[in-house]
Amino acid sequence: MGSSSLTRSRDVKLRGIAASPGVAVGRVLRLDERGRHQFYYIGVSTAQVRMEIRRLREALEEGRARLREFKVRLARELGYEHSFILDAHLLMLEDERLVAELEHDIRTRRVNAEWAVRAVTDRAIEAYKNVSDPYLRERASDLEDVATRLLTILSGKDEFELSKLDQDVIIVAKNIWPSTVAELDFNHVLGFATNSGGLTSHTAIIARALGIPAVVGLREVTRYAKTGNAIVIDGAEGEIILRPTRSVVKDYSLKRARDEKRRARPQTEPASAAETLDGVRITLRANVELSTEIESLARFGAEGIGLYRSEFMFLNRLPELPSEDEQYAVYRKLAEATGEAGANIRVFDLGGDKLTLEGFEQENNPALGLRAIRLSLKVEHIFRTQLRAVLRANLHGRLRVVLPLISTITELRDAKRIIAEVKQEMAEAGVDHNAALPIGVMIEVPAAAMMADLFAREADFLSIGTNDLIQYILAVDRANENVAHLYQPFHPAVLRTLAHLVRVAETEQVQLELCGEMAADPLQAIALIGLGIRTLSLVPASIPLVKNAIRSVELERVRSMMQEAMKLPSASEVEELLARELPRQAPRFFAAWPSQP
Amino acid sequence: MQERIVTITNRLGLHARAAARLVRRAGQFTSDVELVSEDTGETADGKSILSVLLLAASRGTRLTLRTTGEDEERAADEIVELIEQKFGEEVSDGVF
Repeated sequence: MGSSSLTRSRDVKLRGIAASPGVAVGRVLRLDERGRHQFYYIGVSTAQVRMEIRRLREALEEGRARLREFKVRLARELGYEHSFILDAHLLMLEDERLVAELEHDIRTRRVNAEWAVRAVTDRAIEAYKNVSDPYLRERASDLEDVATRLLTILSGKDEFELSKLDQDVIIVAKNIWPSTVAELDFNHVLGFATNSGGLTSHTAIIARALGIPAVVGLREVTRYAKTGNAIVIDGAEGEIILRPTRSVVKDYSLKRARDEKRRARPQTEPASAAETLDGVRITLRANVELSTEIESLARFGAEGIGLYRSEFMFLNRLPELPSEDEQYAVYRKLAEATGEAGANIRVFDLGGDKLTLEGFEQENNPALGLRAIRLSLKVEHIFRTQLRAVLRANLHGRLRVVLPLISTITELRDAKRIIAEVKQEMAEAGVDHNAALPIGVMIEVPAAAMMADLFAREADFLSIGTNDLIQYILAVDRANENVAHLYQPFHPAVLRTLAHLVRVAETEQVQLELCGEMAADPLQAIALIGLGIRTLSLVPASIPLVKNAIRSVELERVRSMMQEAMKLPSASEVEELLARELPRQAPRFFAAWPSQP
Repeated sequence: MQERIVTITNRLGLHARAAARLVRRAGQFTSDVELVSEDTGETADGKSILSVLLLAASRGTRLTLRTTGEDEERAADEIVELIEQKFGEEVSDGVF
């Protein structure tokens, strides 16, 4: 299909990265169009030159004032760290060289201010585009952002005045800049869809912090979406549909309405407990990757952190390693933010498809290679640094560590020995720390699941990581489109493994938690509690939705439903049973839940 | 005049935020601040963000820092320190 037909045809489906859950149905607002002002070359007389220079100065002053305002707003709404980028923009408007060059252009070439801004910034942007470093080359967009701002002010019209959106829109852009986000009227933004970005892009972080659905990494959405087009965003599936046909809009509107009813506004009842109708209490904890998410924990009613993915600390910095003090500051923040509820720090899960350390070769089969605990035990000094930081931060709350990708008991024992050594060294050196640090084993390798009883005896708790566990049980890489359909959370082998783990935890009297995407899907979450899981850890924004699902069911009935499900030979039959049974049991929540997988 | 040789060591090089910090720091001194890239021989005014950005100094670039004026020594010291501390970037990226 050629691109020209894609810009018109209906139901154009694009897949990206699921950055922030939720469904949005609405109209596209293409953000980058904002800057495409028509501007003209106007030759001016000598007398008018002074006038143009005055216009320029006023525009610069207004631009600075707005940026200062946005900077404050961004810092307040999203945290101080997001506001730095605006400082760079502000400095550009304050840059005496830039100002001098602009004025020089107006004077010597006798042009209007708009033309000077365009010409001068284009020269700078051009120079920047020749830079060999790809990251720096990208920064030309900062200059473009600033030029756009000036041109907008000079043109005197804000075609899309973002702070005064009068209708609900879904923002489509190549990338969304923090300066843009600072301007947005969040009450009218239903969702984000962007070409670039991953889970840690600004767009994703901001969308999650605000609880707005977002799909990023769509690569070409700006090629196909035009302002005013209808669009559907499914932030949980990482999918968008452009110019949807009426039936598709209807399906998704229903899904969204159901979602909304269940999700409740995050602020409304974070305090109400996740308790089934028959009074069984489920603990909902948060999966956290980024500093900004900590602030949203209370808003979504998370009971502590079930999974802190500590390797995200490396993201912007490899191959440099975060120092002990830096890590300490982060862990302390986690400890203080979660208080009694506590936080599980999963030790660095590096290597494999995630992040690699310098000096380690690319492997042929990274999923089965040197990663996670295997890597930690190999480069022990990194592990020890992390442990020291955790032990120190543990003075300020209740931290626990979780060991990822454990497959043999030796790994657990080695890790425990190292932890004991670190504690002793710290005690001998007189370093303040809290040695009461429970150690958990991540159950994500089938071998560990089969040996769970043995691990239960030597670890303080078990945490099931369903994403990897399912991949390893079913030998399916869910990112591989050719086999993604075989990634089946309701596969009988998966259900049997989970049921086995629940039994072991009961027999061995060890605490069992579960984290992974299964926990964030209401249907799957109910299945999990039916299997006997009592603690789920999930993306904070999904907590209200899952909580409402839990509050709509009776555990006794869900349990017998899952006993039936366990007898079925395929994932699709399990899904059919649930899709039939749950709307009957909990019509308030599950009525008309789509029966498709 | 003070002259120092520094190497950009933060992973992302002199990008907008790092440049912003450098320019803000340079602006605290009355001395003139000049940066010369050893790669390209280009010279930048340390008090102009545009100029600093145009150096396009990526990680590993060696720069000659020249400060001239009353507080040249302190200016040189503090700017070198900022660069060596990787612009405090590690804690400000929105990612731990």
